[in-house]
Amino acid sequence: MSVSDSVSSSGLALFAENMRKVYHTRGKPSVEALRGLSLSVKRGERVALLGRNGAGKTTFLKIASTLLMPTSGRIEIFSKDVSVHPEEVRPYIAVVPQEGHPFYHLTPWEQVYTYLLTRGFSRETARERTEVALRDMDIYDIRDQLNVTLSGGQQQRTMVATVLATEAPLLFLDEPTLGMDPFARRRVWAALRKLTDRGSTLLLTTHYLDEAESLSHKVYIIEKGKVVAQGTSSDLKRSVGGTVRVTIPMDSAKSEDFASFGRIMTGEGVIHVITEPPQINEILNTALRRGLSATVGPVTLEEAFLQLVGRAIEDEH
Amino acid sequence: MNTNFLPSWKGLWAFAGTEARVQLHEYLSIATTVLVQMIFIFFVWLLAPPQLLPFAVVGSMVFSSFVVGERVLDEAAYIRIDHKLNELYHASPLTPESYFLGMGMGVLAAYLPPLVVLGVLSELVHPFTVLSLGVLVGTLALVWLIAASLGYVLSTFFIDMRAIWPYATLLFNFFGVLPPVFYPLGLFPSYLTEFALLLPPSAGAALVVHAMGLEPLSGGEIVLALTALLVEALLLSSFAIYWARKRTREGV
Repeated sequence: MSVSDSVSSSGLALFAENMRKVYHTRGKPSVEALRGLSLSVKRGERVALLGRNGAGKTTFLKIASTLLMPTSGRIEIFSKDVSVHPEEVRPYIAVVPQEGHPFYHLTPWEQVYTYLLTRGFSRETARERTEVALRDMDIYDIRDQLNVTLSGGQQQRTMVATVLATEAPLLFLDEPTLGMDPFARRRVWAALRKLTDRGSTLLLTTHYLDEAESLSHKVYIIEKGKVVAQGTSSDLKRSVGGTVRVTIPMDSAKSEDFASFGRIMTGEGVIHVITEPPQINEILNTALRRGLSATVGPVTLEEAFLQLVGRAIEDEH
Repeated sequence: MNTNFLPSWKGLWAFAGTEARVQLHEYLSIATTVLVQMIFIFFVWLLAPPQLLPFAVVGSMVFSSFVVGERVLDEAAYIRIDHKLNELYHASPLTPESYFLGMGMGVLAAYLPPLVVLGVLSELVHPFTVLSLGVLVGTLALVWLIAASLGYVLSTFFIDMRAIWPYATLLFNFFGVLPPVFYPLGLFPSYLTEFALLLPPSAGAALVVHAMGLEPLSGGEIVLALTALLVEALLLSSFAIYWARKRTREGV
């Protein structure tokens, strides 16, 4: 099935509007996991959902991937209503579940190959794609070992290979590189880029902000079931007040001398001045005059994330 | 007509094949299945009158088919709770009903070797006729469908594997061993005969031993046992399909 056949005229792979999900558990207070969340993902985009634990990322991913009914709201995948016609959506999607494991008593080859057969691929196509996916994930050499004998990272790569081999038009990946070493993570990133270059769309959650920054065209930050910020990594970093961070080891109580240069963020025994490049010299001179050292670096997505979520928490209170 | 109401078996054989591979890699548990049944038959051969041996062998076959339910319960809960693989498969063209039935078929693959061994043993102890062989196969299929449906549905209520093992073992052994499955219906208290003929394993065993000429049933008893098996198979498998579809949208 080609992506072009399935994509709506609007060019959106996923559209969600005012999504709400309330969990009711007998004997416990209800939990509102999503509170009017709206987002859209264009065809061919790689989009990351960021948020604290319990922010609602996985709940949203489960709803979008037909695994959970929303309490209210509208959600479409390639113009098909996910809530009403899940069976029409499922051929177009594939999911790497959070903390999922392959069948322990299958080999990586069997895991990927049989999954493709289950999705309706021919044996020949399944064989070809299995080989490519296992090579992409660098687990081809261990393809005949039982999954139970593999390390956690290798098992996770098997899960990712299983889903990438489908080349589904829309892929959901819930913390896909959890437990992988830095080399393996970069392998996964390269494979994901290759897939979107060929037309697939990705929606992933991650707690690795470098992963979101390196991989995503667009980032949504979610806090308590709502989108609190969205944009490219650069947009989000700019939104915290500057693109450069000057770190000065000093007591935050004495930071007012630097307040005029930009936004002050406090850390453990240090302050960070978030500013723009023209201000750097003056900040460094001010620090030197006080006998303080200073280091300069770019603002990271992690800092933007902490700022934006922190602001959202303050607003909530 | 809403065609979504009708079952769709997309992906059934491929998923059944996947499950069969999983089960067959665990060859030790298959060997154990054969061994446990053979030990039980050995004790019957050693301690009981010779005429009870064919009952024990037939009962072992029916029990093997019934205990598939316990394995389906374990497997469905295990791959949902510990592996989250249900999400991988539910968010795919594989239909929920194919997921449930495919799992039952795959697990049955693990029980085919003991069934074949026991079938050969039964032929040696008390030869089959074409009719009794047909009744045996049909009965085993119905008992398997009932047990697999029951196992799958029950699996969705558990959130912890440790809680499953005792309940599943107790349930399937209680209904699979205690009623007249391994011994003649006539040895069961007579006031409980109808009850025994309503339970899938004892109803199945009674029909097979009747067809083999080991213990004749009355016409009413045949109707009761056969109706019970057919109705239970139809109702439970239909409910399992409904339940599989429903739970797929509840994150389970």
